[in-house]
Amino acid sequence: MASAAQTLGRYRTAAAVVVGLAVIPLVPGLNSSYVLHMLILMLMWSVIGMAWNLLGGYCGQVSFGHAAFFGLGAYTGGILYYHLGWSAWWGLPVGMVVVALGALGVGYICLRLRGPYFALGTLAMGEVLRVTAENLEWLTEGTRGIMLETRTWVAKEPFYYVILAIAVASFVVLEVMVRSKWGYYFVAIREDQDAAESLGIDTTLYKNIALVVSAVLTGVAGAFYTCYMGYIDPEIVFALHDVSIVAIMVVMVGGVATRWGPLVGAVIMILLSEVVRTLPYIGRAHQTLFGILLIVIIIFLPNGVVGDFRKMMRFFLGRSKPAGAGGV
Amino acid sequence: MGKLVKVLGVAVVGTALVASPALAKTLKIGIPLPLTGSKAKFGEIERRSYEIAAEEINAAGGINGMQIELDIQDSQGKPEIARAIAEKLVDVAKQPFLIGAYSSSCSKAIAALAEERKVPYLVVTGAANDITQKGYEYVFRMNPSVEYYTSGFRGFLREVVKPKTIAILYEATDFGTSGSKSMVKEAKRLGIKVVLNEKYESGAVDFKPILSQVKAKRPDVIYMVSYVMDAALLMRQIKELRIDAKLFAGGAAGFAIPEFVENAKDAAEYVVTATLWSPFAPYRGAREFAEKYKKRAGKYPSYHGAEAYSALYVLKDALERAGSMDSEAIKKALAATDLVTAFGPVKFEAKGKYKNQNFMDTLVLQVINGKHEVIWPKKFATAKYVFPIPRWRDRRR
Repeated sequence: MASAAQTLGRYRTAAAVVVGLAVIPLVPGLNSSYVLHMLILMLMWSVIGMAWNLLGGYCGQVSFGHAAFFGLGAYTGGILYYHLGWSAWWGLPVGMVVVALGALGVGYICLRLRGPYFALGTLAMGEVLRVTAENLEWLTEGTRGIMLETRTWVAKEPFYYVILAIAVASFVVLEVMVRSKWGYYFVAIREDQDAAESLGIDTTLYKNIALVVSAVLTGVAGAFYTCYMGYIDPEIVFALHDVSIVAIMVVMVGGVATRWGPLVGAVIMILLSEVVRTLPYIGRAHQTLFGILLIVIIIFLPNGVVGDFRKMMRFFLGRSKPAGAGGV
Repeated sequence: MGKLVKVLGVAVVGTALVASPALAKTLKIGIPLPLTGSKAKFGEIERRSYEIAAEEINAAGGINGMQIELDIQDSQGKPEIARAIAEKLVDVAKQPFLIGAYSSSCSKAIAALAEERKVPYLVVTGAANDITQKGYEYVFRMNPSVEYYTSGFRGFLREVVKPKTIAILYEATDFGTSGSKSMVKEAKRLGIKVVLNEKYESGAVDFKPILSQVKAKRPDVIYMVSYVMDAALLMRQIKELRIDAKLFAGGAAGFAIPEFVENAKDAAEYVVTATLWSPFAPYRGAREFAEKYKKRAGKYPSYHGAEAYSALYVLKDALERAGSMDSEAIKKALAATDLVTAFGPVKFEAKGKYKNQNFMDTLVLQVINGKHEVIWPKKFATAKYVFPIPRWRDRRR
């Protein structure tokens, strides 16, 4: 159990990060539309990363199909807009319900499977939904996609604060869940499902809880994507490599089952791909460089940047820091 | 129009004589293109073509005395990255105009941004109909929208082929779906019965199940909307299954580029395709550009190349007439564009739902003796069409 001082310290860091992020749009030089676009993408990916982290990191159910939930959320907003003329923002609340139901369906099928079979099952679900969205033309407009006539705001700041609020809310939800009794159940399921079951944990129930919460948060990010980008088609929002795999990468790079891992991972992933892309000359090979960097991170920092923070510091500073510093 | 070209020519030569390149300022032009990912092939064709145009323009004195420096950035074909590139160009580089992107989805992302930020955007290859149907004031498109891609081909069907039945196969993308939709509409108008209208996942390795359905229906015309690998594979498997029809036809894209003939080999013979452009298109500069491109890349460019090459000239023309680097002035100049490029005439018009859209004649090609020849419209033909085409078993092997 954390002492009162530690608890305070924990919230102090979180509060500092939130305040820091909240004032960025007010800082001259940083408030350009381009910088805000990058920040919005980072926050959006950190939400998806946090969501994936709950299911994959804490509960140990590695999903390769989070695009399914992202797409469901995105299309809920898109369809409400296109067919009913509602604002696409309704995709956020309505999408939560739709995605929760969708996740229960996915869970009913995939949570019977374990380990790699669960991964393959979710991968298939993502692809199934993509093909479905491509073919249900009366509902989804198929591959032509759905385009919003106009986006709600021209300026980036409102979008930025919306996604920041979503990110903070996700953070709080996960924090509460993971620090509660449920969090211990999740970890127990990850470490040994049979042992957890023998201790009287209803593993099916708790795996479903983790899946539904994870899916709903991902769906909210998807609905936000529709409002922000103003155009979706099945290949974009149900993409295996551009959504499902990136969700895993964000968490892997940042740190599996760590509090700040998804945020750090999202920042690194977005920043790295943007910086490497714009490097002169070698920028052409950015995909290759990016791949190599990821391999290096996974080999030398298997617990991610946050998980292996001390190891990394030791490497750079040449000596070990006294215990107690960092403490993630 | 010819006069305008002459005037422009004089202007170009004039500036070339006056401006000394050593003193000239540079004009950096950022262009998002998919250089990696599944659309990289087309990004590469466009990159080369932009470079050829930039070199020519620089050799002739640049734009308003400024030498062009291209800054081609990889969008990976993803809309959010294309948007990031465009945001950066507007915000950081302060570029007063936007140009490029390959796919419709990237073009849509940039178009919405251009309209919001009031920066004129020249769409070069994004073909989905709705890009110029949103009433955007700052978005100009020089390529026809996908429903006009086949206007020439539809003329050919109407006047020469006169089929009773048609089977349509198309890939599951925005481009494929729009292509199939407009063909179904056209078939209805001409009283052609659509016996089959099937979508497939692009990148499939075996089309035989879908092709045996086609065979059973015995259509007069088999019409396919596909990118290059699928196009070649479809024709090879049609040959394997000995499916005969009066005409095999492709809806631009994969069928209209030289790789189609290379990959499909003799199965490509007599295949007809709609296209926007060919190296033998009857526009001034088309042939020269194609030869120049061939010298570098070893083969002729597809119409995407000609679009990119000509887009830079459209931009140059607009910037020179605008006389300033102000977005509003450039927008006004673009709207008044009336230019004949190597790609064809460019003029932005409002028609029906469209706004700032270029409308032009499209061509029909047929593979004859292993080469793409223009067969339609008749006034542009480089060879007489072969119709009806011989059955597979009657062909020499």
